[in-house]
This record gives sequence, C-alpha cells and structure tokens, in this order.
Amino acid sequence: MERVELNIPSNPIFERVVRASAAEVGSAFGFSTERIEDLKLAISEAVNNAIDHGNRRDVGKLVAVVFEIDGEKLEIRISDEGGGIDKVDIGRHTIEEANLEAGQLRGFGMYLISELVDDLEVSSSHRGTVLTLRLYRRGQP
Amino acid sequence: MSDIIRREEFGEVAILYITTTSVDAISAAAIAAECQAMRPITVLDFSEVAFINSAGISALLKFVVSARKAGYKLFAMHVSLHHQKIFKMVEMSRFMPVIEERDLAEYRVA
Repeated sequence: MERVELNIPSNPIFERVVRASAAEVGSAFGFSTERIEDLKLAISEAVNNAIDHGNRRDVGKLVAVVFEIDGEKLEIRISDEGGGIDKVDIGRHTIEEANLEAGQLRGFGMYLISELVDDLEVSSSHRGTVLTLRLYRRGQP
Repeated sequence: MSDIIRREEFGEVAILYITTTSVDAISAAAIAAECQAMRPITVLDFSEVAFINSAGISALLKFVVSARKAGYKLFAMHVSLHHQKIFKMVEMSRFMPVIEERDLAEYRVA
C-alpha cells in the first residue's frame, strides 16, 4: 500500500494544494486525464465542505486528507474537526428555476462527488466528519 | 475592472474572458461581481479555465440570475469536454448554452 497524507488549515486557498496533490496521485495511479479531472473535482468539493461546513473556516482547525493506493483501489479520506452532521443528502441536485428565483445558488457539492467517484461513505460524530471516496482503476473510461 | 475578467464589447454583445485557471471559492467573488455589467448578449469565455467546482458554479449562476432579470441572453464559449460534462450534470446548459465562436461572427460585422 502507498500512502500520502496532507493536513491543511481551514482556509479555502489551501484546497488548491490538495487538488494539485490529487492530480499527482491520480497520475501515479494511472488514471486518464478525464478521471484525474473527476478526482480533482470530487476532492475539491469534499475539502471545501470540510473547511466551510465542518470546521467553519476556523484556521485553527485542520482538514486531513489521506490518499491510499491499494492495488486497483484509490481511497481518499477527508476529515474535519467540526461538530459532526446529522445527515447527508447525496440526491440529484440540479439547477432549478425556483431556486434561481430564491437566490439558492449552492448545494451541488455532494451530488457531484457521488456522481464522480465509484463509492462514497460518510461517518460523523461529535468529533468530526470523515468522507471516504473510493475510485477503482478498472472503472475508468 | 477585474483582473480576472477581460471584456470585449461590440454592438449588443459582451464577451467576458475568464482569465483565471480556477473558477473556485477563491476566484468566485471577483467573477460574480462582473455580472453587474452584462450586455443583451453576454458570452462567458472559458478558454483559459482549467478547473470549475461548485463554488465556481454558484458564481456563474449569478450571471444566469442577472441575465434572466434583465431579459438578456447568456452563453458559454470554449468550454472543455470535462466542463461540458459537469454543466450537463447540474443542468447548467439549460440556462447557459454553449455556443461556437463562429456564431458571433454576424454580430461582429453588424
């Protein structure tokens, strides 16, 4: 197993550091350019959720990102130090006219993650939330 | 004028060239601010954009909202295949269809 671990402060600028790392890990894993883009976007959404909703942009709290390559599987765990969440909505979320009228222009992140990875798992407690993303080499286009 | 958007205007058309490679949480506010200066036909050019996430999509939706309020037309140009896929997932294409540069030719000579 090969493992890469990053810890970033809860400042959105450092999401770009994780994204750049994701591109390198995806390339090392042998992903196509398209799947690397999928990986970058899924991780970007997960890290931004951890920064904004988990740690509420408290730069004293860290977001931990662990990449593990295990055979045909790439697993990424994104953890925050927030108070946890009750439930996660990974249902289809598209742009609706009513939402535009109401100024509700956000909320696509979890839906995009669920569409872009092969497997998604969420565990949450009062000590924080861990999002586990899995992508498989055989699943690539 | 923003460093992140370069403008070109002719007739009723404004082309807004997004000059940052990342349309994300960091660049979103500066991009969204430009939705205050749209023209009846506004085109967002993505030729330099390598990455768009949901924070970026939210910024782009500000243009959609402004265009709808003003009765303007909004288009996207030079959108990568990956970003066309993402736009299709969230159905952005319904509100900001992709056009080709040649479609603007008739407005340039008018």
